[in-house]
Amino acid sequence: MSRNIAAFLLVCIGLVMFLAIAELPLYGSPDTPVQNYVAKRYVSGALSDTGALNMVASIVIDYRAYDTLIETTVLFTSIIAVFLVLKKGTN
Amino acid sequence: MGDLLQRILQNYPYIFALALFGIGTFTVLTHSNLLKKVIGINIMEGSTYLFFIAAGNIRGGVAPIKDMVSQGDVVYVNPLPQALMLTGIVVSVSVTALSLALIMRLYKLYGTIDAKEIHRIRKEVRANGNSNQR
Repeated sequence: MSRNIAAFLLVCIGLVMFLAIAELPLYGSPDTPVQNYVAKRYVSGALSDTGALNMVASIVIDYRAYDTLIETTVLFTSIIAVFLVLKKGTN
Repeated sequence: MGDLLQRILQNYPYIFALALFGIGTFTVLTHSNLLKKVIGINIMEGSTYLFFIAAGNIRGGVAPIKDMVSQGDVVYVNPLPQALMLTGIVVSVSVTALSLALIMRLYKLYGTIDAKEIHRIRKEVRANGNSNQR
């Protein structure tokens, strides 16, 4: 019963998303809003700015270094939480 | 109507992302096995990765790695969504690790990883008084 309700709700949400796909910009075209001046700046300036051949690496490690640093904190916090949860002796 | 269908078919990677999202959400909603719920969450995360990477793609583009050999007009795909999805993968791994650890604790406490079963056991314990509640 709850299975049918879940399926019905998912079909409703999926239909709305399905219609929204039609309004998205054309897949693979080079002049969508995603490919704006930010991406062009990264592609053209990554090598001279950071010296990295891999643009993804230059974004992760150099342009957004603080993002990566705090991301490490997320990983660290989750590891601490896992060790706390699995600690022996606490029942 | 035909125009609408044509536009949807041209954006076919988004349809795959939508299907994956639906499968993941259905798994989370209908299964009471907690491990299967975690698997469903991971499928949903995979659908968002697919959506972002597909949004940054350019037809005929190559991976955003500069090589000094090939000269000329090379179109690189957008490197920004790929870098953002790296962040997303880290968060997803953290969430998965923490939820799996919590499931291990639940299994030690209740001897089962079924959410409905755990609910029933908790109700019984509450009905028998709080003396043997851990």
